[in-house]
Amino acid sequence: MRRIHTKALVVTVAALALFSSACTSGPATTPGGASSPAASAGGEKDQLTLGMTLDAYGWNPANQPGYQNWAGEAVWDNLARCDGNGKLTPDIADTYEITNGNKTFKAHIREGMKFSDGTPVNADAVKASLEYVAKNGGSTNDYKDLKYDIPDAQNISITWPSAQPVMANKICSAKILPAAYLAAGKWDTPVGSGPYTYDAANSTTGSVLSFTKNESYWDAANYPYKKLVLKVIKSDTAAVSALKTGQVDATLVSQSAVNEVKASSMDIIQMQSNTTRLLLTDHLGKVLKPIGDLKVRQAINMVFDKEAMAKNLYDGNAEPTAQVFRKGTDAYIDGLQDPYPFNVDKAKQLMADAGYADGFTVELPTMEGQNFETLMPYVSQQLALINIKVKEVPLSGANAIGDLLSGKYPVVLWQLGNMGNSALQIYIESTPEGWWDLEHQKDEYVDSRWEQIKTADEATSAKLQKEINQYIIDQAWFAPMVYMGYNFAYNAQKVSIPTESDQEGLTPKLRDFK
Amino acid sequence: MAIGLLKSLMRSVGVFLAATLITFSMMFGNGPGIAKAVLGLQASAEDVQNEVVKLGLDRPLLVQYGDWLGRALTGDLGRSFYTSESVGNALAVRAPVTLSIVVIALLLTAVLSVALGVTAAVRGGWADRLVQFLSVLGTAVPAFIVAIGLVFAFAIAWRVMPATGYVLPNVSVSGWLASLTLPVLALLTGSVASATQQFRSAVLDALGRDYVRTLRARGMAERYVILRHVLRNAAAPGLTVLSLQFFGLLGGAVFIEQVFALPGMGQLAASAAQISDVPMVMGTVLVTIVLVLIINMIGDFAVFLLNPKARIR
Repeated sequence: MRRIHTKALVVTVAALALFSSACTSGPATTPGGASSPAASAGGEKDQLTLGMTLDAYGWNPANQPGYQNWAGEAVWDNLARCDGNGKLTPDIADTYEITNGNKTFKAHIREGMKFSDGTPVNADAVKASLEYVAKNGGSTNDYKDLKYDIPDAQNISITWPSAQPVMANKICSAKILPAAYLAAGKWDTPVGSGPYTYDAANSTTGSVLSFTKNESYWDAANYPYKKLVLKVIKSDTAAVSALKTGQVDATLVSQSAVNEVKASSMDIIQMQSNTTRLLLTDHLGKVLKPIGDLKVRQAINMVFDKEAMAKNLYDGNAEPTAQVFRKGTDAYIDGLQDPYPFNVDKAKQLMADAGYADGFTVELPTMEGQNFETLMPYVSQQLALINIKVKEVPLSGANAIGDLLSGKYPVVLWQLGNMGNSALQIYIESTPEGWWDLEHQKDEYVDSRWEQIKTADEATSAKLQKEINQYIIDQAWFAPMVYMGYNFAYNAQKVSIPTESDQEGLTPKLRDFK
Repeated sequence: MAIGLLKSLMRSVGVFLAATLITFSMMFGNGPGIAKAVLGLQASAEDVQNEVVKLGLDRPLLVQYGDWLGRALTGDLGRSFYTSESVGNALAVRAPVTLSIVVIALLLTAVLSVALGVTAAVRGGWADRLVQFLSVLGTAVPAFIVAIGLVFAFAIAWRVMPATGYVLPNVSVSGWLASLTLPVLALLTGSVASATQQFRSAVLDALGRDYVRTLRARGMAERYVILRHVLRNAAAPGLTVLSLQFFGLLGGAVFIEQVFALPGMGQLAASAAQISDVPMVMGTVLVTIVLVLIINMIGDFAVFLLNPKARIR
C-alpha cells in the first residue's frame, strides 16, 4: 500500500514537472517579442507593441475595421490623410486642391515612392484603388461614377458627379495599392507603400502581427519605432494583465478597468470618441407616434441627471453635455445653456401637455459591448418616471447591426461618435442618407442647409453647421447625456501619445505614438 | 472486433453528416444580415444584395451545403467572409494551439486522476476525504476564475509566467511550455477533480469484487492485485470518463483561450459563430467533429483491447 502511494506521489510530481520546467524558463518571448525599452540612435525606438481588442481583419482593402486598424495604417497609404479635425494633410499626394465647386480633387503624387512589391506609386494605382472600392466593400456609393483625368504618372484629377461636402473623408479612407495586386485579389500578404512592411515570419495568424519599419518612407521621422507588433487580446482581463506585465505597451481598456490600470502606474488617455445619447430619430412619429411630438422628445431629454450620470455611471470619466458635437468643431455652440436641465416635474408636465400623461411603451435595442449593463437600468428607471415603459430587445450575431440600423426602433440608446469633422457627423447622423439617421426622414430645415454646405466655403459651412446643431437641439432629435470616450491605457515609461489624429477619436493613430 | 470498429466508423460518418448539416442549417437564411455585417454600417441595400450573391448566400440550403461538403472533401474549406483568410490555413495555425492545451491537460488529467483516485480508494481515511474535498472544490470553481487567479499569482504578482500569448514550439520550446503552463493548469483543475471522483468509484467498485478477495486470499501482493487486476478492470469506465473529459476540455478551451489571449480554435469558433462567418464556423465544426469522433473511436478501440467482454459483444 505504501509503495503504491509513493508511486502515485512520484507520478504526480512528474506531471507537475511541466509546470516547474516552464517556470524556470521565465516569461515567454512571443513572436514579435516582448517590448524592449531600449531606444536606438537617431531618436528611433526599438519596438512598439499594441494590444488589439478586435480580431485581425485580413488584407482586403475594401473590408477594414473602423478603429484599431493599426495594421492597415502600417502597410497602406492614402492619397491624403485626415487629421483629428478631418482636414486633409499630405500623404501619397504631396500637393492637392479641391476645385470645381467641391467636385474635383486634383493631386500631385509624391515622386519616387514605391510599393513594397517594387511597383511605383502613381496615378494608375490611385485610379485602380478607387475603382476597386467603387465595386467592393461597403462604401461603393462614395466612389461611384468617378471620372479620372491622368495627364501623367504623377498627376491625377478625380471628379465626382456632384458636390462632395465630405470629400476629405472619402479621400482619406481609400487605401492606395498597386493595380496588379488589386486585380489579382489575393489577400494573404499585404502590399502597400506605408510606414511599415509586414513581417510574416514573425507573425502568427489571428494572434500576433509583426511589422518592420520602411526606412525609405516619406514620413519616416513620424514613426519612431523600428518594429511594430500588434497582439490580438480581446478579453479585457487579459488586456489589462498584458499591459501590467509589459507584454503590450498600450491597449484599449473598458471603463470598469480604468481604476485598476491607474493603480498600476499606467496612464490613460480618454479619447473624445462618443456622446452617450438617445437617438430620437423618428421625429415624424412614423414608427412610434408619441416620438413625433416635440414635447415628448423634450420631456425625454429632461429626465436624465447628466451630472449624476457622469459621476456615478462613468466614475467621473465623462462630462455632461447638451449637444452631440465635439468641442471645437464647426458645429459646436460655445456657451450653450442646457435647454433641457434635469427636471422630472417639468418633463411630466410636457408629457401631459402632449397628451401622453399615461406614457407609452418603447422598444430599446441592446447589444453586447456598448456599456448597456450600466446604462440601461438607469435609462429605463428615468423614463419610467414619465410613464415610458422600456422593453429591452437584445440584438446579437451577424444581424445585430443591420437590425439596429433598420429603422424599426424609433429610439436607440447608443454611445455614438462625436467626430472631429462635424460636417461628416451631420451627414452620418442627421441627413436622410446618413446611416445613423435611422429612419432617414426628411426635414426641410436641415436638408436645405446641408445642400448649401455641399458647395459652401469654410466660413459659411461652419455657420450653417451651427444652425443645424441649434435646430436639432431645439427639435430634440437626440437626448444627449455625457461626452465619454474610449479609455486608451499605455505605459508612459515606454510610450508617449502627444497627438490625437483620429477624426473619430476612437484610438490613437499609429503616427500618434512617439 | 473488425465489425465493431466498422460499425463505429459508419456511425461516425452519419454523425459527421448530421452535425455539419444541422450547423449549416442554423446559419442559413440570413444572407442579408451576414452581408451587412461583412460590409459595415455604411453599406447600401444594393451593396448588401451584391454581397449576398457574391458570397453565394442566395442559393438554396442543400445547394450551399452540398457545395461546401464537396469542397471540404477535397480539402478546400473556403475563405472567411470577413477577412478573406483561408479557413484551412487558419485551422492549421489554430488547431495545434487548442490541441496542445487540451492534449496536455488530458494526459495530466489521466495521470493525476488515476493517481489520486487510486490513492483515495485504496488508502481511504483522511486521504480519501482530502481527495474528495479537493475534487468537489475543483469541480465547483469555474476554470476562468482559476485562470484569473493563476495570472494574478504567477504573471502579475510573481512574474514567472507570461500573462497572455502563445509561442510556437519551433520558436522556443521553453517559451511554448511557459505559454501553455497556466492555461493547462486552469483547464486541468476541473477535469482532474471530476475524473478523480470517477476513477475512485471505479477502483472502489473493482476492489469489492470477488476476484480481488480471491487474489488476496491466494497471497498475491497488494501492489500486484491493484496494478494488474483492479486498475485493468477500472480502466474501461475510466477511459469513457477520459474521452468525455476531452470534450469538456475542448469546450473549456474557448474560455481559457480568451483569458490567456491564445490564438486557438475555441476563440476562432466563438468569434466566427458570433458573426456567422459560415466558412470559418463550418471549418471549426468539421475539425471538432473529426476530433471527437477520433477520440471516441480510440476510446472504443482501447476498451476492446482492455476488456474481453467488449470483444465478445
